[in-house]
Amino acid sequence: MAQHTLEVIVENSPGVLARVAGLFARRAYNIERLSVGPTSNPETSKMDIVVNLDGHALEQVIAQLDKLINVIAIKEILPDSPQPTIHDTQPDYQN
Amino acid sequence: MSGMSGASALVASLEAAGVDVMFGIPGGAILPAYDPIFSSSIRHILVRHEQGAGHAATGYAQVTGRVGVCIATSGPGATNLVTPLADAAMDSVPVVAITGQVPTAAIGTDAFQEADIRGITMPFAKHNYLVTDPDDIPRAIAEAFYIASTGRPGPVLVDIAKDALQKMTNFKYPTSVSLKGYQPKDLPDAQGVLDAADLIAHSHKPVFYVGGGVIKAEASRELLELAQLLGAPVVTTLMARGAFPDSHPLHFGMPGMHGTVAAVTALQKADLLITLGARFDDRVTGKLSTFAVNAKVIHADIDPAEIGKNRFADVAVLGDLKHTIAALIPALARALSKNRPDLTPWLQQMNALKASYPLGYDLPKDGALLPQYVIERLGKISGPQTIFAAGVGQHQMWASQFLSFEHPRTWLNSGGLGTMGYAVPAAMGAKVGAPDTTVWAIDGDGCFQMTNQELVTCALNNIPIKVAIINNDSLGMVRQWQTLFYEGRYSNTDLESKRVPNFPMLAEAMGCVGLSCDRPEDVDTTIEKAMSINNQPVVVDFRVHRDAMVWPMVAAGTSNDDIMIARETAPDWDSQEL
Repeated sequence: MAQHTLEVIVENSPGVLARVAGLFARRAYNIERLSVGPTSNPETSKMDIVVNLDGHALEQVIAQLDKLINVIAIKEILPDSPQPTIHDTQPDYQN
Repeated sequence: MSGMSGASALVASLEAAGVDVMFGIPGGAILPAYDPIFSSSIRHILVRHEQGAGHAATGYAQVTGRVGVCIATSGPGATNLVTPLADAAMDSVPVVAITGQVPTAAIGTDAFQEADIRGITMPFAKHNYLVTDPDDIPRAIAEAFYIASTGRPGPVLVDIAKDALQKMTNFKYPTSVSLKGYQPKDLPDAQGVLDAADLIAHSHKPVFYVGGGVIKAEASRELLELAQLLGAPVVTTLMARGAFPDSHPLHFGMPGMHGTVAAVTALQKADLLITLGARFDDRVTGKLSTFAVNAKVIHADIDPAEIGKNRFADVAVLGDLKHTIAALIPALARALSKNRPDLTPWLQQMNALKASYPLGYDLPKDGALLPQYVIERLGKISGPQTIFAAGVGQHQMWASQFLSFEHPRTWLNSGGLGTMGYAVPAAMGAKVGAPDTTVWAIDGDGCFQMTNQELVTCALNNIPIKVAIINNDSLGMVRQWQTLFYEGRYSNTDLESKRVPNFPMLAEAMGCVGLSCDRPEDVDTTIEKAMSINNQPVVVDFRVHRDAMVWPMVAAGTSNDDIMIARETAPDWDSQEL
């Protein structure tokens, strides 16, 4: 199974990390690596989440993450590309 | 702009959000809010347990389509709301819960009546807030109502620290709500609708698999038109009972663990599932790998995370079902004008099954009272406009099977979470939302003993609901599983409810009329007597046979192909052409 990196832009508000971490825990998904940092916009933060998931399971994680109200955008950085390909999932996962 | 306390801003915000009624109990941390509530236009109904407030808000919301509101204090007040909020989440009900929190400076100190209710509700609430600044109250309330009622509806909790209620603020209610991370998609993509129409026009065994989303979206009329346009079988899940008229010849009943043979088989043998606001719940699919193996799937839903969650969707249509079905009608008409499959053989097969295996029960020779008979008579005598709320267990399944539903929002039950004790408080909320409609709670003797205290609330607040206790002396559904799967070892399912408590006396003590009935020949007159009392809640103790079982049944974890119509009795498949 390939590792995928999700770049998640979230509102910079208390409890957001707990919401994201809790979602992974209760849906029984494992987080391989997680880092959280600021963005140029003080109202948002960026989470880089590395998961060992593919295909259907990965789509579910993205869809469930996007249901969190504090999650603004999710970008999936595709593995094994010479240049990381970024596709913005937001139009497909609006709710 | 005007200067007022955070508490006054809260109540003014609730008024601005259009709230006309809320259910709750005061306590220390929420106390500042109860002062402006005292002089507000909002009707506050003082319940006897916070769980009752939560289910009442749910019942109100299910009947009216509006947001139900409940309010409680910090700590135990808030944690008592956990079950109804989890319940509302599983059944996609728009509810806003307001809770008091200990003062900001005390948060995190294990203060008296402190509980991290935001953290506790995080896994299931659609969203939640902890407000510590009075200036943030109006925005939090406006967002909570917006989030609860749009997209896939759900519960939102707003936890407000006591000092935020006490401090002064300038009240200004937001004129609009905009959330970067939440933009529900109402209108379906045109291409998805065209693909769905095309797939339908090329299917030979299509079935409308209708879920509760159709009721949430107020799309029953559109569904009727679409179903008649195609002329295909319709099945309605436990949450969708009433979304399509039971009396319609295209209706084949409820699918799932206790569904009709026709509905279960229609899904199993279909070549196309037209899934509308349903979520492939395990109680419907049985063993997922054997569910509808030859069917392609159209999945129309407002929640993108439901697409492909349990079952792959060949065509997904995201959007509000009212818009989706309305768009599908002309698209399908065009597709059918090019290619109209002959569905006659398919309908003939399903009608043969419907005729061979109707829902039914055998009357016992000893003259004992059967629960199915009581429920059937309740439906017949009270009529199709009546609102029914059920608890969870055998009586719930019999109610779904033997009542006849003709209209949406007339059937309330805890479908997803399976919350015993849902019926009485949900019926209370329903009656508040629809005061001119007869509301019956059909409850089990186990369920009734969990939440009957709200009958006091009903008696004191002129909420004349009617309760039919289907008293089989036991935790009936668990007992049924013990009969079938545990060699009849009835561990802790004997409630002795025919001995203690005396339900009619308990009802009388709570300010209700208490009746009882234990003979089939008295059922009609007892129901008619209950129907004639409209100035007080009525409780009828129907003392029924304890060994009645719910059939048909697909045992948990088995395939829908293995549906049983009675103990060790499968349908006679050889005589059916499928």
